[in-house]
Amino acid sequence: MDDAIATVELAKRYGSIVALRGLTMRVGRGEAFGFLGPNGAGKTTAVKLLLGLAFPTSGEARVLGAPLGDLAVRRRIGYLPELFRYQDWLTAREVLGLHCSLAGVPQAERRAEIDRTLHVVGLEARASSRVGTFSKGMQQRLGLAVALLGSPEIVFLDEPTSALDPVGRHDVRRIIETLRARGTTVFLNSHLLTEVERVCDRVAFVDAGAVVETGTIADLTRAFASVRLRLQDDAGVAPALLQRAGRSLRLADGWHTVDGLVEDDVPQLVASLVTAGVRVYAVEPQHASLEDRFLELLSTGEPADDRIADSA
Amino acid sequence: MNLLTIASLTLREAARRRVLAAVALLTLVTIGLTAWGFAKLHGAMLLRGDQTFVLGSFAILVLLIGYMFSVVLGIGAAFVAAPAIGSDVESGVVLAMLPRPIRRSDFVIGKWIALVALLVGYAFVAGGIELALVYVISGYAPPHPLRALAFMSAEGVVLVTLALALGTRLPPIAAGIVAIVFFGVTWVAGVAQSIAIALHNDGVVHATTIVSLLLPTDALWRGAAFALEPAAIAAAAMTDVTRESPFLVGAPPPAAYIWWTLGWLAAVLAAAVVSFNRRDL
Repeated sequence: MDDAIATVELAKRYGSIVALRGLTMRVGRGEAFGFLGPNGAGKTTAVKLLLGLAFPTSGEARVLGAPLGDLAVRRRIGYLPELFRYQDWLTAREVLGLHCSLAGVPQAERRAEIDRTLHVVGLEARASSRVGTFSKGMQQRLGLAVALLGSPEIVFLDEPTSALDPVGRHDVRRIIETLRARGTTVFLNSHLLTEVERVCDRVAFVDAGAVVETGTIADLTRAFASVRLRLQDDAGVAPALLQRAGRSLRLADGWHTVDGLVEDDVPQLVASLVTAGVRVYAVEPQHASLEDRFLELLSTGEPADDRIADSA
Repeated sequence: MNLLTIASLTLREAARRRVLAAVALLTLVTIGLTAWGFAKLHGAMLLRGDQTFVLGSFAILVLLIGYMFSVVLGIGAAFVAAPAIGSDVESGVVLAMLPRPIRRSDFVIGKWIALVALLVGYAFVAGGIELALVYVISGYAPPHPLRALAFMSAEGVVLVTLALALGTRLPPIAAGIVAIVFFGVTWVAGVAQSIAIALHNDGVVHATTIVSLLLPTDALWRGAAFALEPAAIAAAAMTDVTRESPFLVGAPPPAAYIWWTLGWLAAVLAAAVVSFNRRDL
């Protein structure tokens, strides 16, 4: 089956500013894909290129199997922009009606479709209120409703929870999970890594306009796991064994912490400690969070180094 | 289909944002005040002369009012059209709309259709009421009132098109100001051309002719003025070119110039579409 999104060295330059250096990635159909990176990494630029809002300087990309900007494919795409605004003089229902019309939702289905999306985002009570009277969070809910109109095959969400309270964030997570269960591809741009971690199948880390690393959440976090151990080490052999197993070793409050080992290595480590006569009282594998991996990559990744070198 | 959706959205916006209500109210106030003024002037003129004097005076009055109306129409057109696209880009409205299966050309041309409909509708309704008022009070009717309103509308349509095209690249205020400066420069060029003709200065005549080709507003106003002025005034301008001015026009723009204007409109609208098509949002 085709990928939902496939890009090869997609680049965008604004004058002398390189917004996207060369994006190569694939997003499978039905995946919830997290697109992560620091401010200015090129995330929103990438989304704009994929949606035909901006034009690439070089490279290639296909969305739902078609070249960028294809009108027929745009019918199957939903989008919540980061810096969005809807006509503040229209009511929420009218905004949705306008987008039904633009998206080509059949006239007979529009009312039901508008009611459905209003219900999904919890805006039924304000359906007849003008958008100008909405709080930022309510406008974001409306934006989400607009993105869901017409049951698109792929939904781009650019910082969908930036203005939402915890209840709103919970709702967005629920919506993304429902979309994923229905087979809709979700492309999620977000700074909120814990949320990405909860809802996405795979993520790409982007920095300085290029993908630094791609993988499933489990892959990315497992590689940087650590383990805490409470030991009785009368012979003093534990430090050597622990250092050999991981990348670094810390000792604090009676706990040894070994960083940088794979979770699957833990049983072997414990076995070697026991064999060496060390008494093992507690073993606590620690999973690295996506945020740990994010910070790790951006502080040591090559693109960041390049950027620093370029500016020096 | 999307083109009509955008056109109807633009018209709805004008109605909802009370643009139409404000314009209607101002027009009513203007019509009320001018009706009162015309009635007073008519009475004063009858004390100093006969009906011929009244008709001659009202002919000049209609030219002056027509000129003011065309200026207001032109400036209003520029200020309404300049933000039509620019403000949607600045606010982020287009980011939500244009990923939909809609051509950018539909977005530009839909806006243009709505703005032209608003402008032409306003020109004919407000201008028609004003001319009818003059006729009822004084008995004076210009020779070709509909043609005059058509020329004035065309002048407004030129400015709508220019400001809309500028707004595809410039911020709304800049687009509006640039369009109005061009409008003013063209008027000055028209006056300079009249003087240059009287002085037989071919260089200035050629230069100002180029200006009137680049932006056809002044020549279109002269078409409106010719349609408003009685035959005697036009004849005077024809026989003595030194008297030609924006208020004393010897001949309407030639048919070739009308075709040029239509071509100008098509070209500038096409440029607006191309410019917006290529813009990164």
